[in-house]
Amino acid sequence: MTDKLINVRSNQVRGIILLTYLVALIIDSMVLLNSNLGFIPPITLMIVLYWSSHFLDKTFLVSAFLLGVMVDALYQTTLGAHALLYIIILFIMMRQRLQFRTYPTWQQAFIIGIYLMIYQVLNTVFFSPVLDNGQFVFYWSMPAAAILIWPSISALLNRTALNNS
Amino acid sequence: MSTPSAQQEGMQFIIAFVLAIALMAADHYGKILGNVRSALLTTLTPIERAATFPQQVYNLVTTDFTSINALERENQQLKTEILLLKAKQLQLTNLELQVERLERLLGTTGKITNQNVQIATVIVYSKNPLSQFLTLNKGALDQVKKQQTVIDSHGIMGQIIKTTPTTSRVLLITDPDHQIPVRIQRTGQRGILNGTGHDNVQLNFIPVNSEVKVGDIIESSGLGGVFPAGYPVAQIVQIDTLGDNPYFKISATPVAKLNQSHKVLIISQEEQDNWQNDFDFDFDFDLKANPEKNNPIGKGE
Repeated sequence: MTDKLINVRSNQVRGIILLTYLVALIIDSMVLLNSNLGFIPPITLMIVLYWSSHFLDKTFLVSAFLLGVMVDALYQTTLGAHALLYIIILFIMMRQRLQFRTYPTWQQAFIIGIYLMIYQVLNTVFFSPVLDNGQFVFYWSMPAAAILIWPSISALLNRTALNNS
Repeated sequence: MSTPSAQQEGMQFIIAFVLAIALMAADHYGKILGNVRSALLTTLTPIERAATFPQQVYNLVTTDFTSINALERENQQLKTEILLLKAKQLQLTNLELQVERLERLLGTTGKITNQNVQIATVIVYSKNPLSQFLTLNKGALDQVKKQQTVIDSHGIMGQIIKTTPTTSRVLLITDPDHQIPVRIQRTGQRGILNGTGHDNVQLNFIPVNSEVKVGDIIESSGLGGVFPAGYPVAQIVQIDTLGDNPYFKISATPVAKLNQSHKVLIISQEEQDNWQNDFDFDFDFDLKANPEKNNPIGKGE
């Protein structure tokens, strides 16, 4: 599927990309409202990472920046803080996206897990989150959850993009 | 298909990086982004509402299955409470008149201010490792303003930190950036109550020679003019002495039902305006975005 997506330009699926951002923001808001869902990774970041890795004609840094600012507004954190984290993680991915898109999904998932572990470490440094016992485990299991979720996100976005291109 | 070169990518990253840092600095040290944040929240309101939709459906379904007996019991209980509250209100009116007469005799200028309140519904409750806040269904169009105090039937819950036209955000007293000037109800000893990020709060600046005990109620002192005086805030649950530290380490639990209350009251600014006039003092705190900049009686946005 990834091979077929190579022939699609990001402009052809702009509407779908925007729609996925909207859905991702809603999911992130749901996670924000339920402290028991703290293990769910930032879906907005994962979606940007996916699009950036599969459409080489754009960097998606602007998307990452804007989504980060929106997440800051949602989480009541300093404006720009999540934006900074998002663009750092996206830039790390962009350095390797040519190789990344050729990997099988399971391998991509593990690399995404590493990216999100870096994100979580930076998140801890930036925001000094207050974690009680239950939240501590949820918080640090987030990268593992990202590994499990990535194949589903990847397959879903791939199919959606191909069907609508 | 033209792809950005590594140089272009690097340049874009540097620009975005610098922009993010500038944005953080502007939000942290300045107040110019207050409106930007409000605009962002307004934009995100439909998204927040969509995110609460599954919970609303769940509540709707479970409410439909509530038995008539349970509703009748609740109705009876509410009627009883109304009766009790009416009786208390009568006593209060009488006391108000007495205080007014005594103040006139003493020639003091103090007065009991009748506060205006608005009833609001909690539409979002968020307790995450980064911040603890509520979103209410009343906003700028309902004359809700920043720094208004929010209470439930038990005590103070927090204060308004941001408003959109139709909603407002309340920073809870348990948020690590939240501070409120308080006094111990029994002794009048003043201190500052800080949120800890968990479901409890910490009372600071109580000297070790103070008379304080577990179970004491902590109420707002009114100092600073942000919170009205005399509202219960928390109850002391633990008192520790730390070596040579001249102050106790006091833990307390909020008396307000922060994660259960559905209907809350927003207290109007009327009394706070009076405070400002009395003391001719500027209490224009910018909350949470720059907690270090604020003095201890403010709170961070």
